[in-house]
Amino acid sequence: MNKRLIGIIDATTFHEELKELAVHRSVAAIPFAGRYRLIDFVLSNMVNSGVESVGIFPKFQYRSLMDHLGSGRDWDLNRKRDGLFFFPAPNSDNPYFGIGSLEHFADNIDYLKRSTQEYALIANAYTVFNMDFGPLLNYHIESGCDVTEVRHQNKPMGIYLIKTSLLIELIETRHETGYLSIKDITSDINSPLKLCQYEYVGYAVMINSIKEYYSANMDLLKPEIWQQLFIKEMPILTKVKDEPPTNYLKGAMVKNSIVANGGLIEGHVENSIIARGVRIGKGAVIKNSIIMQKSQIGENCVLDSVILDKDVRIENGTMIKSSCDSPYVIRKGTVQGAWINS
Amino acid sequence: MKKKRCVAMLLAGGKGSRLHSLTKDLAKPAVPFGGKYRIIDFTLSNCTNSRIHTVGVLTQYQPLELNSYIGIGSAWDLDRKDGGVTVLPPYTESSEVKWYSGTASAIYQNIKYLTQYDPEYVLILSGDHIYKMDYEEMLEYHIEKNADATISVIEVPWDEASRFGIMNTDTNFNITDFDEKPKNPRNNLASMGIYIFNWKVLKEYLEKDEATDGSSHDFGKDIIPLMLGDEKKLMAYPFKGYWKDVGTVKSLWEANMDLLADDNELHLFDHSWKIYSVNPNRPPQYISPEAQVSECLVNEGCIIEGDIEKSVIFQGVTVEKGTSVKQSVIMPDAVIGKNCFIEKAIVSAGVHVPDGSIIRPEEGEEEILLVSEEMFQ
Repeated sequence: MNKRLIGIIDATTFHEELKELAVHRSVAAIPFAGRYRLIDFVLSNMVNSGVESVGIFPKFQYRSLMDHLGSGRDWDLNRKRDGLFFFPAPNSDNPYFGIGSLEHFADNIDYLKRSTQEYALIANAYTVFNMDFGPLLNYHIESGCDVTEVRHQNKPMGIYLIKTSLLIELIETRHETGYLSIKDITSDINSPLKLCQYEYVGYAVMINSIKEYYSANMDLLKPEIWQQLFIKEMPILTKVKDEPPTNYLKGAMVKNSIVANGGLIEGHVENSIIARGVRIGKGAVIKNSIIMQKSQIGENCVLDSVILDKDVRIENGTMIKSSCDSPYVIRKGTVQGAWINS
Repeated sequence: MKKKRCVAMLLAGGKGSRLHSLTKDLAKPAVPFGGKYRIIDFTLSNCTNSRIHTVGVLTQYQPLELNSYIGIGSAWDLDRKDGGVTVLPPYTESSEVKWYSGTASAIYQNIKYLTQYDPEYVLILSGDHIYKMDYEEMLEYHIEKNADATISVIEVPWDEASRFGIMNTDTNFNITDFDEKPKNPRNNLASMGIYIFNWKVLKEYLEKDEATDGSSHDFGKDIIPLMLGDEKKLMAYPFKGYWKDVGTVKSLWEANMDLLADDNELHLFDHSWKIYSVNPNRPPQYISPEAQVSECLVNEGCIIEGDIEKSVIFQGVTVEKGTSVKQSVIMPDAVIGKNCFIEKAIVSAGVHVPDGSIIRPEEGEEEILLVSEEMFQ
């Protein structure tokens, strides 16, 4: 018996409440924690748990996702045997039935048939967590389960474990059974299959709204949460950039913040997440905000409770204030001038 | 193998004994620099940025960490099907072990490596210096001047000239002779240890030098004088810009501090000439509510809870509460305990500085302190 897993990442999900951040990208590719994309968490967890073959099933706007993952080199998945595979949905009109669409899998069933791994782990691409899937697999085998659903605080996490052969069977019989997704299978109370539940203890948050996104980023400022996510032996891997270390210039004042590389900081930063390559001008004050990659904030700006998407430029002296309950999102690549106050 | 116009040979076997414990288990080119890099990153990145994609790296002293760092060269985009980076350690022949006894003999023993690319030009580099330079421009100069060899030189202050290998030239930068660390320098153009040779000429002189009894097999001391004696055309290529030999604890510290100056000339943030390195893939740095950070370079994976000022902090460093770090370099994964005071020091990689330690130079002392694990045992 082999105890190996293939990873199947369902990157098709679109959350209406994340629309502002998902105009140009799939939810899986939304930047998080200053240097990651949401998909990095589940993908790194798989790699750290010994998964050597991962299939990504994307649907909408997956250009940035493909660009991010590339050949899989940063996750050590650029392999001759197994590695990283992309299976975009052949047509985007397929209706969405939840995590693990059997129709989408059916279009790529060869991947499953060719895999030698006995088990398949199906997961969503928007959960922030650091989980070892080893104990889950042991539980699944020891309990003789057919399908195991992972739960967190007694709610489904959108992560399932199943034998690869059973998954193939369920895909092939989907028209007879009427099952459209893995979720349909686990929620069928009359199912002849042995359905199990596995409770994951530890930090996990599913990002499905701007509010959730904002609070999950801010959670990282709590050391006890930071320590649960960033574990040296189980690193969250991401596409690396050749940015220099962040340069704190004269006049910089930074408190309770997370800062990625390549920054040039001259202003004040408090309770904020600063991504790679961000520039913050003299006299600027940034509070309770998320500033994404390569955004530039001019001198004497005041930003409070703002989410700045990538490549945004804020002109000198601009003031944007919102509240933590409804952070203001500024779209990728835009320029914001002082007029926004009026 | 495809013929190459120019192949670079990077001498990375340096022991760097004046860096003391930093190079006890580590070749000098692998010594950490600038919060993220290793010294050799500058030369390798210069190669890539100058579109020289065939680089032989000659290693000898403590090569383990350096070899695994270089790997197949992917960090510098030098993992190529044709050419790319090749690590060239000394090897044994049927009758003897041939250690690299000098810079010239190291190249001599790798003539086969060079021959397979049949290059027009060979660029000799050292992995000991911090600078950004376009070797392609130097090569154009070499070709334009129709030289047999071109040596890159930099103007140094006259009072420091006796510490360097000095090239004496005429007003057109033709090299007339070479003085190694002259007591009474006649010129202030120091050799940067960067040479371009016409391969045919170099090969001839390497063979000649190898056959010379008593030769130290050194480019500066043997090859260059030999070529000058034969009236070969040797040109000096005047380089302007930042260049620093980080051969001592003091100069390593100074070069790190230079990065923090407003007018620093190395421009690490210049995207058109990036310095590449093996990225450690650590989480972003966390600056706590109690921390103060001013005029610093801080890399990923750091947790800063104390005050840091005018310092260079490498990846994975922890600075705990109540601690003050000033004008110092903290190398990867060092942990500075609570209520410490550190000034003008280099803390080696992985060192755990116990709570309450005070590390600063004695009153009136100029020396930079090198902090190693042994100090706390």
